[in-house]
Amino acid sequence: MHESILDYGRYRYLWVALILSIGSLVAYLWHDPIGVPNGGTWLGYTLGTIGALLILWLLWFGVRKRRYSGASGSARGWLSAHVYLGSTLILIAFLHSGFQVGWNIHTLALALMLLVIFSGFFGVYAYLRYPSLMTRNRANTTRDAMLEEIRELDQQALALADKIDRNIHDVVLRSIQQTRLGGGILAQLRARDDSAQALASLRKAVSTAGASAKADAGSQTMVMMVDFLANQASDAQSDNLRRLIDMVSRKSALATRVARDIQLQALMEVWLYLHVPLSLGLLGALTAHVLSVFFYW
Amino acid sequence: MKWFIRRVVRKGKGAVQYEEEIHFGETLTIGRAANQAIFVNDIRAALEHARVVALGNGRYRVEALVAAGLRVDGRFEQSTTAKAGQTIEVGNTRITLVDPPKDFEAAVEVALVDKAEVAAREQSEALPQTLAEAGLGKRRASWTLLLLALAFGLALPLAAHYVPTFRALVKDVPAVGLNAWDTGPLAAAHHTMARDCQSCHGEPFEVVQDDKCVACHQNTLAHADPVAFPLPEIAEARCAHCHRDHNGDDGLIKDDQILCSDCHSDLSQRVAGKTQLLDVGDFGKAHPQFKVLLPAWKEDGSYAPQRVSMDQQPLVERSGLKFPHDKHLVAKGVQAPDGMRVLDCADCHVAEAGGALMKPIDFEAHCQDCHRLDFDLRMPDRQVPHAKVAEIQYMLDEFYAKVALEGGYDDVAAPLNVRQRRRPGQQPTPQEQREALDWARTKARETTDALFSSRTCGVCHTVSRDPSAVQGGWVVAPVRVSGQWFEKSDFTHAKHVTMACEDCHAARESTDSSNLLIPDIGHAGALAGDPPYGCRACHGGEDHAEPGQLESTCIDCHGFHQAPFPLHTTMGTKAGGEP
Repeated sequence: MHESILDYGRYRYLWVALILSIGSLVAYLWHDPIGVPNGGTWLGYTLGTIGALLILWLLWFGVRKRRYSGASGSARGWLSAHVYLGSTLILIAFLHSGFQVGWNIHTLALALMLLVIFSGFFGVYAYLRYPSLMTRNRANTTRDAMLEEIRELDQQALALADKIDRNIHDVVLRSIQQTRLGGGILAQLRARDDSAQALASLRKAVSTAGASAKADAGSQTMVMMVDFLANQASDAQSDNLRRLIDMVSRKSALATRVARDIQLQALMEVWLYLHVPLSLGLLGALTAHVLSVFFYW
Repeated sequence: MKWFIRRVVRKGKGAVQYEEEIHFGETLTIGRAANQAIFVNDIRAALEHARVVALGNGRYRVEALVAAGLRVDGRFEQSTTAKAGQTIEVGNTRITLVDPPKDFEAAVEVALVDKAEVAAREQSEALPQTLAEAGLGKRRASWTLLLLALAFGLALPLAAHYVPTFRALVKDVPAVGLNAWDTGPLAAAHHTMARDCQSCHGEPFEVVQDDKCVACHQNTLAHADPVAFPLPEIAEARCAHCHRDHNGDDGLIKDDQILCSDCHSDLSQRVAGKTQLLDVGDFGKAHPQFKVLLPAWKEDGSYAPQRVSMDQQPLVERSGLKFPHDKHLVAKGVQAPDGMRVLDCADCHVAEAGGALMKPIDFEAHCQDCHRLDFDLRMPDRQVPHAKVAEIQYMLDEFYAKVALEGGYDDVAAPLNVRQRRRPGQQPTPQEQREALDWARTKARETTDALFSSRTCGVCHTVSRDPSAVQGGWVVAPVRVSGQWFEKSDFTHAKHVTMACEDCHAARESTDSSNLLIPDIGHAGALAGDPPYGCRACHGGEDHAEPGQLESTCIDCHGFHQAPFPLHTTMGTKAGGEP
């Protein structure tokens, strides 16, 4: 049976995390410190030590995952522990500080830690959801194969358009030049592709060509326009036109899938561009936090 | 117009061959149609794709005839002006504008675009398809955030710690410099030091030292004699063991029971034989019965109250006064000169200004209205002062001497010259004076005896006769009716104003002044019964408080810094070498 990062080892690390959380919570509720709960009580120091060690261990995952094999368990097991113990940190950190916050390096470390964890939550969602969406979207092919097919369709469409009408050729040529797949960060995340626009401009060109014969053709659906044109032109022409529209539609569908593929891949990766730098920021803030509280003990 | 067209034909292995031709016409047409001046054999070219117009001086007008446009120097253009040296691309064909040779107005060079070049350009023009290709990176951002966090959290505060000028510069900037290290607001009393960390924090990586506290708190007393009780908990404990700052409104004075009970719950073992204090822990369950300070006097008359447990039986208060509370508090009132007067506690017992203790009872203010100190039926307006025996005697001696010498005192027992009113200007003879003064001395002595023996003083005071006493032999027992009953606690009436007096003091039932009306420790649940209640009726401890009881901890009643010794830090264990 397939095990995800969540149910790895029969939820082994969920149990570890739960035991750690409940243990910390019970200790916090049982503990009756001098004054209010804060990081300076013995429990505060204890939870702080546990939290700091956890953070260092979680950071070590960045090193561990680069080693494809290791004596210390599978990468999936490490990731499962990373996710569950990382989530536990939210509770441990707040119990450590006694829920005290302020405008200082200590709360900055807390804020960075929360940002890292919540970006990680998105990562868990992405890893659980997007791979299957990607597989489905690719439909047993690869992105390179789809791009190659688009290139071939472009050439064929151009040749076909040339046989129909020079205006149609122009429109197809321009749409090929304007095909944009991928792009900047936002473009990738928005899954932008211009294929629909290309199809629309082709429809417009077709209808303009037909408009000279009948004025209301512009508002017709494409099939009706094709039918209309087919009536106007020879059988060979109408057949070409059908094939052209078919090709451009197919290209449009392909382009949409490629854009979606790029989008899913970007979504799978984008959180890491927050998660990793923020975790390094957290390492800095944590170092400063620990050193400062003992510097001014 | 005469165009010079040179075609570059590549023959494999790098060999190049040129074909030259001349074209006549205003424009140079480019396209896939057979009639074009420059024929482009590529489906990506329109039949009539573009045209070039020579403007002279090596300048050309380049115009696309289809919406797809054409590349000029690699960029798609619809219509532009170009000059010699620039290139036009349509499909697979590249047309380079060149300076016309002699006898020509315009010239171009035509070549096929190299396939490797096309592939390279496609590569470079391809849009990024991953975030990494789009320029997103982790390494630089990671280093930046790491260094920023270290700079903000470590470098700037350290700079502020070591460089006074920088410290002064950023002192008031929130979250910058040492403010970034601030773990929380200081207690209100310390707010003036909020921007001056080093007023408390001294050496790096060293806990806050007591000498920093004592720098201001010079008059704070020790908890116990540090020589008699050289316990680590007293001698070595830091101020910050109890007083922990940076917790804002939580304040510095901690009421946690454990701070006391960790030593006092088994104090008798810790300091065996050195203390008279009893073991004490939680007020609800582990506090001994109160010890009350009962009035007592030594043989020589000096006041020496005795501290006795309230469990002691019988528990008798020897105030020196005879005072039945019940007779004064009867519901119908007491007979006063102006009629019946209903007395209440507050008619006599008024709190001091601070509200802690009660003001002493004042005879003149509280008693004399009814308990008049008159002494002579013939002079009902005159009273003796509420004073010492000697003063009363002086007053009576002087009073009767004046009466005797003035005469007119209507008493059959008096000599005639005392009874007769003297006329103005009439001087008594020396004989008469002596007789009168003899009578006066006797009269004063008799009156004194009458006052002290029964009639007046004895109502309240215990009066005895001691022939050896200097003033007529009368001795009034010393009196103590108010003061502090519990010397080890800081009880205050002010915090108990919601209670009625009788909730704690059973005065209405007290028939005699020997009844001690001070409440003892009591027991939990007493509120369900009748008053008077002991303290535990309302107060429980931190660990053992019944529902509805207050969780009172040690410092609600007791002080800590109360021993008459300076704090151990001022003893010089640090500064002065050997303690």
